Amino acid sequence: MKRNILLAAAIAVGLGGPAYAQQTIKIGYQLPLTGNTAQYGQDFKNAAEIALEKFNKSGKIPAKVEIVYEDSRSDAKEGVAIARKFVDDKDIVAVLGDFTSTVSMASAQVYKSAGMPQLSQSASHPDYAKISEWQFRNITTQAQEGPYNADWMLSKGYKKIAVISEQSDWGQTVVSNFVDEVKAKGGEVVFSEYFNRGLADFRPIITKLARTKPDAIYTGFFYEDGAQFLKQMKQLGVTIPVHSTSAAYNQKLIELAGPDAEGVFLTATFLPSNPAPHVQEFVKEWKAKTGQDEPGQFPAQAYDAVNIVLAAITRAYPDVTRKSVRDELAKTKDFPGVTGDTTFDANREPAKKLTKTIVKDGQFVAIEN
Amino acid sequence: MDYWLQQLTIGLSLGMIYALMAIGFTLIFGVLNVVNFAHGEVYTIGAFVGLLVITAFAPPLIAVVVLVMAAGAFVGFGLERIAFKPFRRFTDEASLKSRAMRESTLMSSLAFSIVAREGLEIAYGSQYQTVPLDYLINQPVDLFGVTIVVGDIIIFALAVVMLVGLQFLLTRTRVGLSIRAVSNNPLGAKYVGINTDRTIITTFAIGSMMGAAAGLLVGLYYGAIFPSMGFIPGIKAFVAMVMGGLSSIPGAVICAIILGLSESLATAFVPSVWADMVAYGFLILTLVFFPQGLFGTGRERV
Repeated sequence: MKRNILLAAAIAVGLGGPAYAQQTIKIGYQLPLTGNTAQYGQDFKNAAEIALEKFNKSGKIPAKVEIVYEDSRSDAKEGVAIARKFVDDKDIVAVLGDFTSTVSMASAQVYKSAGMPQLSQSASHPDYAKISEWQFRNITTQAQEGPYNADWMLSKGYKKIAVISEQSDWGQTVVSNFVDEVKAKGGEVVFSEYFNRGLADFRPIITKLARTKPDAIYTGFFYEDGAQFLKQMKQLGVTIPVHSTSAAYNQKLIELAGPDAEGVFLTATFLPSNPAPHVQEFVKEWKAKTGQDEPGQFPAQAYDAVNIVLAAITRAYPDVTRKSVRDELAKTKDFPGVTGDTTFDANREPAKKLTKTIVKDGQFVAIEN
Repeated sequence: MDYWLQQLTIGLSLGMIYALMAIGFTLIFGVLNVVNFAHGEVYTIGAFVGLLVITAFAPPLIAVVVLVMAAGAFVGFGLERIAFKPFRRFTDEASLKSRAMRESTLMSSLAFSIVAREGLEIAYGSQYQTVPLDYLINQPVDLFGVTIVVGDIIIFALAVVMLVGLQFLLTRTRVGLSIRAVSNNPLGAKYVGINTDRTIITTFAIGSMMGAAAGLLVGLYYGAIFPSMGFIPGIKAFVAMVMGGLSSIPGAVICAIILGLSESLATAFVPSVWADMVAYGFLILTLVFFPQGLFGTGRERV
C-alpha cells in the first residue's frame, strides 16, 4: 500500500516534472587549469565558484546558472578547440576567459563568427576588444596603464628610464604604450629589452641594464619573474628604483622575494585592504574557500567578470540568448565590482581607477606619489 | 672592463649549474646508451623533497643535502624499476641486442616524467613554492670587484666533488669496473658473470642522487622551486651531453660551461631572447664539424 502511494507520487512528479523543470543557463569558462600558468586558472576557478554560488543562492532569477570549465593550458590551439566546443553547446550563452591575450584573441575569432559574447578578465592586449562586437574585457589595458605610469615616473623627476618586459603580446603593449608617453613628455628611454617568460637568470640583463645608468626601471612582468628579477637585482647590488604594472600585483611577489621586494612601485585596481563591505566580503570568502592569504588582483578580476556576466543574464531574463546577453553586457554601467566600478564604453573597454602603491614592510600600501 | 668580467662570472656560474645536471644525465646515458627523459623530474623531486624537509624540520643545509641525495637514490631505484627494468625482462640474445627494446625506454621514461610532473602540479599547484628565505644561497660576495653569491661557491664545490668522486668510482672501484664493463658491452659483461641488473640499478641510484642534489641546490640558488623547473635544465644538460660526445662526463661538464658562458656573453651583445639561439647554434656547429662531439672518441663510454 505504502509502496503504491510512493509509486503514484513518483509518477505524478515524473509527469509534472518537465513543466516545472528549472531552466539551466550555462556559461563557458576557458582557463588554464594545468600547465605553467595553472595557478592563475585555479585562482579564476575558485573566484568564479564563489561568485556563482552566491548568485544561485540569491534567487535573483528563477533559473539555475552553471559554469562549464575547460582547461586551455594557455595554449592557443587548445583555446580554439574549446571555443568550438562552447559554440556547439546550445545552452551556453556567454563565455569567460581566456587568461592570456594570445589565447583569448585566438579563441575570439571563433566567438566572432559564431556570435558568442566573450568577456576576458585578464586579456589586456589593445587589439583584443577590437576583434568584434562580441569581445569584452574588464581589465585595464596597457593603453591606460602605460601612460599613467609614464606620467607618474616623469613627475618624480626621472629623465632616463630603462624598460624591460616579457616577450609576449601583452609585454609588447607594456613597452609601446609606456615608451610613447615617455617620449612625448620629453623623457628618454635608454634601454629597452624583452625576456622570455620563466627566465631563470636575469643577471646578464641586469648587468647590461645597469651599465646604461638609468634613473629608474619600468618593468612588465608577472609576480614569478618579478620576484626573480628583484632578488637578482639585490644580489648584484643594483639599487635603481623599479616601477611595474598591476600584473605584478600579487602577495606572492612579496612572499617569494622577501625583503628584496621592498620599495617597488606599482599600479593596482584591487586592494584587499579596501574597507568597502563588498570587497571585505570577497576577501573573507576567498580565505575561507582556498585557505590562502588575501586574493591578488587576478582572482578579483575573475570574480568581477563572473558577476558582470551574471548581472547581464539577470537583466536579459527570461529572454536569455547569446544576442540578448551581449546587448545587456554592452549596457553595463557603473557595475560595483571589487576591482572598482566597471562601465563598458562604445568599444567594450572598461574605464577603471588606478591606485599607486608601494611595497612597504611586506605589504602593498597605497601612496599619493 | 668590470662589465665584461661580471658577465663572464655570471656565465661561469650558469655553466656550473648546467654541469651539475649534466653529470648524472651523462652517467646514465653512458651505461644504457639511451636518454633518460625523467632526469629533469628527478631534479625537481629533489628540490621538492628538500623543501618539505626544510619546512618540516629546518635542519642545517648539509643535512638537507644528504637527505635529498638519499631520496634521489630511492627515486632513481624506483624509476629504473618502473620505466627501465620491464624492458629487460627477456634475456635471450635477440632481445638484448634489440634497439627497439632499448629505445622503448625513451617513451617509458618520458611517461614517468609526465606523470611525476603532473602529479606534483596536482599536489602543489604549478606556482613557485615559497622557499624560507634563510635557506636561500644567494647572499652576495664581492670578489675582486665582481659580484658572485655564496651559492656559486657551493655549486662549484659540489660539481668538483661529483666529478672527482665519479672518476674515482669509475676507475678505482669494482662497482666502477662493472659499470664500465656494462657500458662497453652489456652482453659481454653478462657472459663474464657481471650482475648487469644490479649494475644498472646502481648507476641509476648514483645518477639520480646527483640529479636530486642538483635540483635542490639550484632551487635554493634561485629561490624558485616549481613542478616544471626541471625542463629547461634538462634540455641544457642534454645539449651539453651531445656536444661533449654523448658519453664523456668531463666533456659534458666543459660543454655545459661553454653553454653558460655563451648565454651570458650573448646577452651582452644581442637581446636576451636570442641568447638561447646562440647556445643552440653552438650545438649545430658542433654536430656539423665534430659529429662525435667535442670530446667523444666514438668507442669508449663513461
